Amino acid sequence: MISQALAGFLEQGLSLHIGTRDEQLRPSGARAAAVVVEPGGEHMLVFVADVAVARLLEDIRRNGQLAVDFGRPEDDRACQVKGSVLDVRPAHPHEREAVVRQWQGFLDQLEKIGIPRQMATGWAHWPATVIRMKVTAVFEQTPGPLAGTAIA
Amino acid sequence: MNVTLESLAVCFQGLLPAQLFTCSSDGVPNAAYLSHVEYVDGQHVALSFQFFNKSRRNIAENPHALVSVIDPDTGQGWSLRLHFERSETSGPLFERMALRIEAIASYCGLKGIFKLRAADVYRVLAIDPAPEECGLASDAPSQHSGALDPVFTVKALQDLSARIHQADCLEGLVDSILEGLEASFGFKQSMILVPTEQEGVLVTIATRGYPENGAGAEVRFGEGIAGMVAEAREPIRISGLMRGMLYALAMHKAAKNPDPLRESRRVALPGLANPESQLGVPLLVRGELVGVLCLESEVPYRFHEDDKASIELLGSYLAIAIQNMQWQEQATEPAEPSAPLPPAASSPVAANGSDTHAIAYYAGDECILVDGEYLVRGLPARILWRLLKTHQSTGRDEFTNRELRLDKSLNLPEWKDNLESRLILLRRRLEQKCPAVRIVPRSRGRFVLNVESPVRLIDHT
Repeated sequence: MISQALAGFLEQGLSLHIGTRDEQLRPSGARAAAVVVEPGGEHMLVFVADVAVARLLEDIRRNGQLAVDFGRPEDDRACQVKGSVLDVRPAHPHEREAVVRQWQGFLDQLEKIGIPRQMATGWAHWPATVIRMKVTAVFEQTPGPLAGTAIA
Repeated sequence: MNVTLESLAVCFQGLLPAQLFTCSSDGVPNAAYLSHVEYVDGQHVALSFQFFNKSRRNIAENPHALVSVIDPDTGQGWSLRLHFERSETSGPLFERMALRIEAIASYCGLKGIFKLRAADVYRVLAIDPAPEECGLASDAPSQHSGALDPVFTVKALQDLSARIHQADCLEGLVDSILEGLEASFGFKQSMILVPTEQEGVLVTIATRGYPENGAGAEVRFGEGIAGMVAEAREPIRISGLMRGMLYALAMHKAAKNPDPLRESRRVALPGLANPESQLGVPLLVRGELVGVLCLESEVPYRFHEDDKASIELLGSYLAIAIQNMQWQEQATEPAEPSAPLPPAASSPVAANGSDTHAIAYYAGDECILVDGEYLVRGLPARILWRLLKTHQSTGRDEFTNRELRLDKSLNLPEWKDNLESRLILLRRRLEQKCPAVRIVPRSRGRFVLNVESPVRLIDHT
């Protein structure tokens, strides 16, 4: 579902947001810190800081619907991965390195558009919760008329 | 809600893209970046609707939405829980949002590509801080501290006003405006453009803070920030707005092949390589466009929300000052042209040596080239050619504005000819491209043509 090339884009350290919804179809969402695409591209791990995931957990466990948006600030290239929740667990200590690397990549991106990384001093990325999801669709999201086109 | 929507207006400047969460009627969530959130009133925001995308289709099915925004001063994230109310396709809100989108597209040379279909108005049901995006502590220095206080304070405006009152001619006035904007407000890059005799075209007469003086750079109405301001006659403020979009559009523009001939006969408009904040202000007197003031900064969020009213006030004040000076110069210029003098025995015009400048006039294009390089076109070109020819044939070097106004061959507009601003433009272009020929003001309405090295006049009529 997710090619190696696309996985390389998703895992480079981008601006990430994860969305779901409640039983009344009211959306909820939060910033995510990192993702890891599992070999084969059918499944993806989404790392969300514990302070952020709390407000999503009930919705995630009730309906399991997820949308993860990826944006690269320097050129606005963006895409969205949709899927369903398979598992929710605390992130392991050995996973921290990958999360920190992507988080730093995201802060680098902010600097490229003139946002000093100090602005994100208070932003949380660890400790994190891992949401493992089955990928069902991937959409182009780069601003313009092609946004929304299925790419996988 | 404890936090008011008014207090979050700074979050809608677009320094960081907002995030929009929606959900379809069958329960599938959607997350997407959002180009534009606009403050409407204390209970409403408007989101730009440009494309028939999934977010828009979801809203048509299910009116609930969530928007995440970031305060660029503190870094604090906020979630706005929204309920869709209506779409507006005309009126002040729509026009304001459309102008902003058009300004960005036009800046990138893509005017008309990105159209606003509607301003979608939502009621704000709740505002919550994002716990994963905590802001800087109140005692920590903000990286955008320059934006924390309004830029256009009364004190700074008073200082600018005092400086302007000391100017005694139009050239001194426009220079003092730009100097004052740097001294009083810290705006290091600025320029003033005025309408030309050609309808729908602005020309740059004064700049500050750029390596090239840029005098003579032309902008059509609707082109770039200055052109959009002239067309809409509304201030336009861009604060780090959608840098990614600008980048993408700029790349798109770079792929185009410019017309080399056309480009060679144009003066490039000065500009920062990476502007983060831009502000364009129309200079209007009773609805008449006297000019456009443009400011640039590399600071991402330079022009504060609270500055809006001051910006418009400043524009009106500068417009009146410029127009008054134009009238004053015209009213007090000498009544009679200066008497012709006998030809100078050693006139450098028409001499022919190794350091001779070739000044060619192309009547068809109404443009002048110096040693093969573009100098000026239109009315300033006609004026310079007339001065040089007179100097060559009679030896005269002193001229008056009035004799230029009375010269039918120059074809000046009978009403509001803006001759003074054309002479400023001509003087600055000569300083930059042909310093051997200078136009030196002598007294009000009178000037001297100094030709300090030999020139050869080539007439392509």
